[in-house]
Amino acid sequence: MKAQVSRVLPGQEIGVDEQRELAVDGLTPARVMRPQSPQELAEGLQALSATSAAAVVHGGDTQIGLGSRPARYDVALSTTRLSRLLEHEPADLTCRAEAGMRVGDLQAILRAHGQRLPLDPPRPEKATLGGMVAANSSGLSRARYGGVRDWVIGIAVAYPNGVIARAGGKVVKNVAGYDLMKLHTGALGTLGVIVELNFKVQTTPEADDTMLGHFDQRGDALAAGRWLARQYLAPAAITVLDREVLQECGLTADWRWTLAIRLEGYRREVEIARDQAAAAVRDHAGRVESEPAPAPARFWESVRDWTLGQDEAVLLYATTSLSGLSPVIDVAGSDSRVMAEPASGTAYVRVAPGAAVGLLDRMRGAVKGSGQVVVRRAPTASKDELDIFGPPPPGFALMRELKRTLDPNAILNPGRFVGGI
Amino acid sequence: MVGERYAFTDPYEVRLYQYDASPETALPDAVVIPGSAEEVAQVARICAEEGVPIVARSGASSLCGGTVPVEGGVVITFARMDHILEIDLENLRAVVEPGVVNLALSQVLRPRGFYYVPDPSSQGACTIGGNVGTNAGGPHTLLYGVTVNHVTGLEVALTTGELLQLGPGKASELSGYDLTGLLCGSEGTMAIVTKIWVRLTPVPPVSKTLLAVFDDVTTASNAVSTVIASGILPAAIEMMDHLSIQAVEAASHAGYPLDAGAVLLLEVDGIAEVAGDVARRMAECCRAEGAREVRLARDEAERQALWKGRKGAFSAMGRLSPDFYVMDGVVPRTRLPATLDAIGKISERTGFKICNVFHAGDGNLHPLVLFDGFKEGEYEQVLRIGDEILKLCADQGGSITGEHGIGLEKRENIRYVFSDQDLSVMDQVRRVFDPGLRMNPGKVFPAAGGEAKPAVRMPAGKTTGRAGPGDEIWV
Ligand SMILES: Cc1cc2nc3c(=O)[nH]c(=O)nc-3n(C[C@H](O)[C@H](O)[C@H](O)COP(=O)(O)OP(=O)(O)OC[C@H]3O[C@@H](n4cnc5c(N)ncnc54)[C@H](O)[C@@H]3O)c2cc1C
Repeated sequence: MKAQVSRVLPGQEIGVDEQRELAVDGLTPARVMRPQSPQELAEGLQALSATSAAAVVHGGDTQIGLGSRPARYDVALSTTRLSRLLEHEPADLTCRAEAGMRVGDLQAILRAHGQRLPLDPPRPEKATLGGMVAANSSGLSRARYGGVRDWVIGIAVAYPNGVIARAGGKVVKNVAGYDLMKLHTGALGTLGVIVELNFKVQTTPEADDTMLGHFDQRGDALAAGRWLARQYLAPAAITVLDREVLQECGLTADWRWTLAIRLEGYRREVEIARDQAAAAVRDHAGRVESEPAPAPARFWESVRDWTLGQDEAVLLYATTSLSGLSPVIDVAGSDSRVMAEPASGTAYVRVAPGAAVGLLDRMRGAVKGSGQVVVRRAPTASKDELDIFGPPPPGFALMRELKRTLDPNAILNPGRFVGGI
Repeated sequence: MVGERYAFTDPYEVRLYQYDASPETALPDAVVIPGSAEEVAQVARICAEEGVPIVARSGASSLCGGTVPVEGGVVITFARMDHILEIDLENLRAVVEPGVVNLALSQVLRPRGFYYVPDPSSQGACTIGGNVGTNAGGPHTLLYGVTVNHVTGLEVALTTGELLQLGPGKASELSGYDLTGLLCGSEGTMAIVTKIWVRLTPVPPVSKTLLAVFDDVTTASNAVSTVIASGILPAAIEMMDHLSIQAVEAASHAGYPLDAGAVLLLEVDGIAEVAGDVARRMAECCRAEGAREVRLARDEAERQALWKGRKGAFSAMGRLSPDFYVMDGVVPRTRLPATLDAIGKISERTGFKICNVFHAGDGNLHPLVLFDGFKEGEYEQVLRIGDEILKLCADQGGSITGEHGIGLEKRENIRYVFSDQDLSVMDQVRRVFDPGLRMNPGKVFPAAGGEAKPAVRMPAGKTTGRAGPGDEIWV
């Protein structure tokens, strides 16, 4: 403890404005580090360890609100200067990039080669690759193409002891050594700072199409989505939106519930999938919008970005089995806004802070051990009264031990993760 | 504890458990065949308390000595834990015990229109537990991913005797570190898997298969790149070189031209309205790259005939040589021509014949070095060749194992792809699960202080590379 009194923090001192910009859940840092190379970042971590100073790792800050309030926050560590694409051999369908590269920048390069990373986190123009992985933010197509964990094939991580260590590699099939890519996916930067990532990428499908189905009952819309999720020609994205959410995403409607379906594949496949989707809507007491959806690309971007929530509201996120989803969102009253993904058994529920504690309890009660409900976003004032992750997951003792082993002084995002890790 | 019938230490009886599908052997002190997860956990705890090694062994088809008890101890096998516990089509999941044979699961599912995707070529013998142990792949991983992409939850036994249920199971995600993903492919070195939640996938309505014939492996490799670059998403692309074709034709008469330099088997899955068209586009790509013949299987019988040669490739090697040594390197797809060329040069220089039968679509090579284990010194020479090939793959930006695992066999070679620092982080992670290093000791990590050098192993004599013609084994 003595050291803490007289310690000199690493990093650059910052003024009030910048402090405010880098604030997290109401806490402000005294200093910032913006390393230009993985090596410099690793040295920075070593310096932090030496002083037991706590850092919050910043990527594009699109999901910086994720997690509990930091226990301590002395230094902001930004990865955004590590933004280089290091390798992309189109014929190998793989690439390697620094973790601070913007997702949108990588996608633009891939697009020029008819390729894409089928991960689509909100605000890709800001979000970084490292942040996407740390936040496990896959976008709307996870059920069809898999999530972050399925597309990362290699990783380099800077650890608090100043070591940069790799796992995986740049080939699409590889079982040498432990799969530490999985360990860092969704870890919110609590075990180390991701400095480099290798991905497999995909050839962009030949065709796509969007269809909207209208429903009076949410249960019918969800059932239609669930049915589609189990077909061979499953859609690339299926979301159920209430009228207000649809409007926030740029479309107006007279009906209560919309089932929005995005289809992708070979041209002929998409045509057939469209017929199948239309039949599914009708079979579940829905109607198919006869007009093509206006500006579908923009609509899907809005849907994707909607999942970030709003400053003044609480955003809850439920993950359950496909059949377990309905009961969990049924407990949400008419004062909450719902967007559900029936193909992955997940739903976002936005609610006013005053009603959040009660709703969170009811939803957790409805999940009954077959999934979980977490708080994705909350205004600073509500953070402390909400149990962000709920009870620690099974295997928590191992998780805590992993944290102690790799970050013994708890310098990385302390207190933000499950069970106070 | 598990009942007298299911535990034995008799030196004669335990001999059956000294080897797997790799050439190494070592005797266990005891073999236990538990009937429940609770029993597994108790055995694990007792072993850890007594400081005795615990080696999990499922189908024992490991090609890297993964199940060989190099430090003795207790081998736990899953012959009695072979139940499919639940099939939940509504939620696209099955829950199985580790001893369930891979093929058995898909056979139960297929009539209902679903399957479990990962299809290692050994699927008639290997188990889901072993597949989790090695993170197994197969020909169709090109499009659909490997074991870890289809596993959503694990129940595991730790050395403390605890049983933990990890991962989202029937849900799609769960907050916390992804220990399920971490444990897939950990080769039994951190925890023992006692139950597995797997994702189920609808069976493709049709599969179309092509045979493309080339004058040499370079043009065939180029065709692989062209197909992939064209926007087609093939379900599988397999290659056989000239020497393999000789062996395969002699054994199974699949109809591959004997004078071909290489053949590709290409498959596309899809709906009937589309698959034929996509197959034709693949054929055009092959022709554009110089294929001298492209044949489309017109019906299921023809399709099976084409695959038969590929599936029988390993057993067919018996026609060429008494023994063979299987490698499992990976290179970026674009490095295939250079790598195959270099392997050819190694063969010329050393005088050992090397066949190439492999998953070309994802760059996963299976060079087979042919030799005679009864000839003095040949086995040692073959090990050195293997070492050189792994180094070559690593130098091309690839990996030393795509699906078979590190095990005992490649524990020293792992230094070709990872630095001491990389390995030290992995070692720290392992010790969180198993501080006493009692779980499958002597695997994955290089011997302490060892330098990168070929592993020293038992002299040959018996090697499972010896296969009779007609056996359906393939890699
Ligand atoms: C002819 C042939 C073809 C093959 N083709 C392929 C192929 O196409 N693709 C491929 O990936 N592999 C292939 N293999 C290799 C082998 O089949 C795979 O590695 C398979 O996954 C092993 O499964 P198993 O049940 O035999 O496991 P085992 O050999 O018994 O064990 C494999 C590893 O997993 C560990 N393990 C086993 N059970 C458990 C458990 N319950 N908990 C924790 N750890 C456990 C073991 O300790 C060992 O390290 C082939 C092998 C042969 C002989």
